[in-house]
Amino acid sequence: MTDDRPRALLVFPGRGAYTAASLGSLPTGHPFVQRAEALRAELGLDSLLALDAADEFEASVHLRPANASPLIWLISLLDAERAMADHRVVAVIGNSLGWYTALTVGDALDFDDAFQLVQGIALLQEEAAADGSGGQVIYPRSGADWQPAPELAAAIDAALIDGGEVFPSVDLGGYLVLAGTDAGIGRLLETLPPVQIGERLFPLRLAFHGPYHTPLVAGVSTEAQARYSTLGWRAPVVTLIDGRGARFTPWATNPVELAWYTLGEQIITPYRFATGARVALREYAPDVLVLTGPGNTLGGVAGQLVVAEGYHGLRTRADFESAQAGDSPLVLSMHGRPRSAFRRSPSQWAPRTRR
Amino acid sequence: MTFDRVAVVEDALDGLLTGLTPAARLEPDAPLRPGSTLTAREAVELFEDQVTSRQLDVAARRLKKTNRSFHTIGGAGHENNAALGAQLRITDPAFLHYRSGGFMMARARQLPGSTPAFDALLGIVASREDPIAQGRHKVWGSRPLWVPPQTSTIASHLPKAVGMAFSLARARRLGLGDELPPDAIVMCSFGDATVNHATALAAFNTARYGARIGLPMPILFVCEDNQTGISVPTPEGWLAETFSTQSHLHYRDASGELDEVWDAMAEAIRLVRSAREPVFLHLDVVRLWGHAGSDAEHVYRSLDEIAATESHDPLLRNARRLVETGAATPDQLRALVADVRDRIQAAAEEATLRPRLTTTAEVTATLAPYHPKQVATRAAKPVLKADVRRATFGGTLPEEATKPNSRTLAGLINSALCDELARRPELIVFGEDVARKGGVYNVTHDLQQRFGAGRVFDTLLDETSILGIAQGAAHAGLLPIPEIQYLAYLHNALDQIRGEAATLQFFSSGQFRNPMVVRVPGLAYQKGFGGHFHNDNSIGALRDIPGLVIAVPARGDDAARMLRGAVAMAREDGLVVIFLEPIALYHERDLHTDGDAGWLADYPPPPGHLLPGEVGVYGADAADLLMVSYANGLRLSLQAQANLAQEHGIGARVLDLRWLAPLPHEAVRAHAADCGRVLIVDECRATGGGVADALIADLAERSFVGRLASVRAVDSFVPLGTASSAVLVGLDQVVAAAVRTARSKARVKPSRRRAAATPGNRS
Repeated sequence: MTDDRPRALLVFPGRGAYTAASLGSLPTGHPFVQRAEALRAELGLDSLLALDAADEFEASVHLRPANASPLIWLISLLDAERAMADHRVVAVIGNSLGWYTALTVGDALDFDDAFQLVQGIALLQEEAAADGSGGQVIYPRSGADWQPAPELAAAIDAALIDGGEVFPSVDLGGYLVLAGTDAGIGRLLETLPPVQIGERLFPLRLAFHGPYHTPLVAGVSTEAQARYSTLGWRAPVVTLIDGRGARFTPWATNPVELAWYTLGEQIITPYRFATGARVALREYAPDVLVLTGPGNTLGGVAGQLVVAEGYHGLRTRADFESAQAGDSPLVLSMHGRPRSAFRRSPSQWAPRTRR
Repeated sequence: MTFDRVAVVEDALDGLLTGLTPAARLEPDAPLRPGSTLTAREAVELFEDQVTSRQLDVAARRLKKTNRSFHTIGGAGHENNAALGAQLRITDPAFLHYRSGGFMMARARQLPGSTPAFDALLGIVASREDPIAQGRHKVWGSRPLWVPPQTSTIASHLPKAVGMAFSLARARRLGLGDELPPDAIVMCSFGDATVNHATALAAFNTARYGARIGLPMPILFVCEDNQTGISVPTPEGWLAETFSTQSHLHYRDASGELDEVWDAMAEAIRLVRSAREPVFLHLDVVRLWGHAGSDAEHVYRSLDEIAATESHDPLLRNARRLVETGAATPDQLRALVADVRDRIQAAAEEATLRPRLTTTAEVTATLAPYHPKQVATRAAKPVLKADVRRATFGGTLPEEATKPNSRTLAGLINSALCDELARRPELIVFGEDVARKGGVYNVTHDLQQRFGAGRVFDTLLDETSILGIAQGAAHAGLLPIPEIQYLAYLHNALDQIRGEAATLQFFSSGQFRNPMVVRVPGLAYQKGFGGHFHNDNSIGALRDIPGLVIAVPARGDDAARMLRGAVAMAREDGLVVIFLEPIALYHERDLHTDGDAGWLADYPPPPGHLLPGEVGVYGADAADLLMVSYANGLRLSLQAQANLAQEHGIGARVLDLRWLAPLPHEAVRAHAADCGRVLIVDECRATGGGVADALIADLAERSFVGRLASVRAVDSFVPLGTASSAVLVGLDQVVAAAVRTARSKARVKPSRRRAAATPGNRS
């Protein structure tokens, strides 16, 4: 029996995905939502449904890691569920927080364990942030035409070399997220030459973000290992490609390694999302990239990665945009599509039959 | 009738996986069998790498049907080499033969972010995005994975693998080669038929010889024995008979179940790593689907024989082993195989969309890059402190021995080598008799005493191995100056230059380089002594190699400056330079008359240097005739120049080419236009690919309108004694040809240009 559905790479976004436009994303009656609400209540945390149904977006509330992370994770899961009905998933990647979503979708953790991990890490991040220990700044390495801009890359290199207390944090391909202490971030904002791309001005500090994926959050990693090493880690049911570009396959994953990576290296070393995406494009050659979650934070990033790779012969921004306007766009965003079509229960979550 | 066994073999795997029954599950970290070092998870990973390699072969053949792939030599049946890829480190340099797909898939796992399958597909479709060869050849290679690309058709990569094993410790002792850890080993792989090749036997011998004299020789020879060389079967037991009984060569068999193969490899690797001695690992494999896609196997093997081989498909055996041990379930392996087939098929289609090399400039960009400005800068530095340099020379600097103490070609090359060794710590000098004896002609006299046996050493008597050591040393970060004792001896080893050293930058897109300056004493005129093999005047085989630089100094002062230029070219641009030294001029003192000391020269101190294109010009004001020559021919031409002036009233200008590849055409054209008549004095064989044809063709094609002539050596081997003059260009012949050329009526007398406007730096 052949499966003619498009071969899809599922892509999960990071912590910046939930914005004012995302309010009202959660379908009330969906079993995932219900279960997440119950788990939030057990921890004495605010209802996600209530947050999502708020009349107004409040940055100090909605962007708090403890709220934003589970919201984005949950909405991404709902998107993944629907995407999997129409697509054959060949591999899964995520950006930063999106890695935890990938683990969930890949069934490397069950719903409850994954919730614990996502919620727990977010709370640890808040605790760490209480010390006032820095944040993240995003800066482009490509121009508005999506072609490499060597002078921007050079400015980043210079900032990293001179900076002190500044580290590369997330490699998005066309953009690099830098992280550092408050002093380091201040210096970055001062020294990186201002650049405007579209309507956004860079360097741009990411609100409510800590210095993730650097040694500055080693404490989060230590605590996470103590708390979450014993979750029900298991081999995924679909290949996961991590923030190094390493693959965890259904047939040859050591769950212990998966936990070590997720709770150790992943937290304290740069998340190379672009590398993971490159591995996915080259080694899995998907027909379509499905972007999940609230907002469309990875839309431009994905386009830039496609163009950088020359994937499907698309080598310029114009190539890409013209392909996107055609009948079968290469990058598909679930953003803006209704999220109530499926109602799988968390315990039936696995996209394929469990071993 | 089409004969396609791909589907048959693919179906056999599917059939097996459908029929197998799951066993009790083995924990991922549990060994496949008690005592084995192969865990269940590693075994399944290996299996995935093996299936991936197999699917690359399937894809290559599928794309070939629509002319979208250009390489179908595959690894089908050889996939157990993946177990070596997993166990050797990516800091153990690997020189691989062409059935190494499994090895590469497994090795790349050690470097997350690698895309080994797609990289291989880009090679198969000859895309310029192929990260190693950019479409110039399908090779297994990778800079980050320390796999220098090999074409490896005739064991020609084995000598350099041995050379690198030989050089690792040496480079480290000289403070170089930090890129690799101290316990790195070198691996090279090849087929069972290949072991019979002279080049392979030379490599094994050199490794054993090195071990015998106590040198570290950490090399793992891996013979992937598929019992066939294209259509010729290897006699049963031949490998064990030949290699299990040799001294200083450990012999190990890797056969049986996957875990047994794995363990045998682990033991072999451990042995090389700890003992630093050569190991010959005999890996049992089969060859599926013929030698290549174009090989009609059924012409020389019966269907039963073919089917029998297919029944030994390692994927079948490994799948069965994984299921029986509980490392995987049949369902898991089915899913694995389906996943790999699916993604490789899709990736192959994507690869065909990637661009190919199109222009000549793109193709040749990495053949032999040459940046004269940077080379000149490199030649100028470093400058040694005066007292250090003086101490190196034992108190008296060579340039202080000026007239009447000027010195010979041999003496000045010796001083130049000494200066280069002193100022470049990465430089090593080696060859037959170069160290203790100081060279047959004393050119390397005292160098070992001055710089030690780590940098100046004698080798065994094998030119293939000398050039292999040169390549391997260069891979290890050294800058080798090997000596081939006589030009005639180079020919038995020439493939090491032609097929290997000169191709490395081309096939690796400049990511790997083997810079070297190969000193080769040669050419004739040794007053009847030595016969052909010491008077060889055949350089066509060298001139024919793309990208090879050939320097031929005639005078000592030129030689010193050219040697510095050659070393700088090697160092800066990774070029392979042949430094051809005319033996007959080594100790020559006179030019015109006995005792005139006209062939002696003062030593030009560093950093003075000469580069290709910089010719020598003698008699720039004369313009009746241009004589173009090099080496012994230069001395003849200068003698003729005097004779022509005195006896015939002809003013001849003499141009020393100095570099025979690339030829200084521009300078020749300018001086030819200036003089209007050209005589080329070429001491090499008339039709042997010497320079006369190339120079005349260039002038003719550039519409040179004057008179063109040449004198050349006879198409013969050089005989002993006075008979040698019967085949070599002589002075009388040069003078006669010069008179004829100068006096002949040229069709058009070109307008005379001012001599100052012509290139050249000597008058």
